[in-house]
Amino acid sequence: MEKQELVEKINSALAEEFEIDVEDITPDADIKKTLELDSLSLVDMVAIVEEVSGVKIKGSDVSQIKTFGALYDYLEQHC
Amino acid sequence: MEETPLFSGEQIYGLIPQRPPVVMVDSLYRYDGDGAVTGLTVLPDNIFVEDGRFTESGLVEHVAQSAAAFAGYGTFKEGCPPKLGYIAEVKKFRIRRLPAVGESLRTELRILGSAAGMSLLSAEVYAGDMVASGQMKIFIKE
Repeated sequence: MEKQELVEKINSALAEEFEIDVEDITPDADIKKTLELDSLSLVDMVAIVEEVSGVKIKGSDVSQIKTFGALYDYLEQHC
Repeated sequence: MEETPLFSGEQIYGLIPQRPPVVMVDSLYRYDGDGAVTGLTVLPDNIFVEDGRFTESGLVEHVAQSAAAFAGYGTFKEGCPPKLGYIAEVKKFRIRRLPAVGESLRTELRILGSAAGMSLLSAEVYAGDMVASGQMKIFIKE
């Protein structure tokens, strides 16, 4: 899957799950603030991203990924 | 041909922290890092049986303890005792029918994602046909 296609699929899935406008998801946007994640919903985001991308995100890496741009880069590096 | 469990009966106590009469999983058939297959035969004296049927609460508890057995097998392989886990959320749980006494449940678990000590898993419970499915968020205490 091309990176742009992957980005669009992930953004669409996250926007639907967290009920936000897909336009709010930009590469520089903070993931936790944009999706209003808390300790319970963080794992929902991880599950969606893993399902769409097929890339497993290590638990220790999750806290290091702050922005959507960083998330896309991570997925590109680990696919 | 009947599948031989990896763990069954009282061996399960080595994987989960629960003890009778609240043990709601009696077999672990398969395990890999991303999921497991567990089982439970519904006996007449099960505390979650009412009017000959395994109740909704029993099905949820069975899935939760299946997740505990999955996590427990992981720590067992490392030579550690089972860890305490807590149900953080039950999502999209659909019960198609309540299994009858004597039926054997076979439950397929798959980890959908993990972060910050929390795991989201999907579960499908079969007793021949599918009787329940859903997602559960589990927090494992380190």
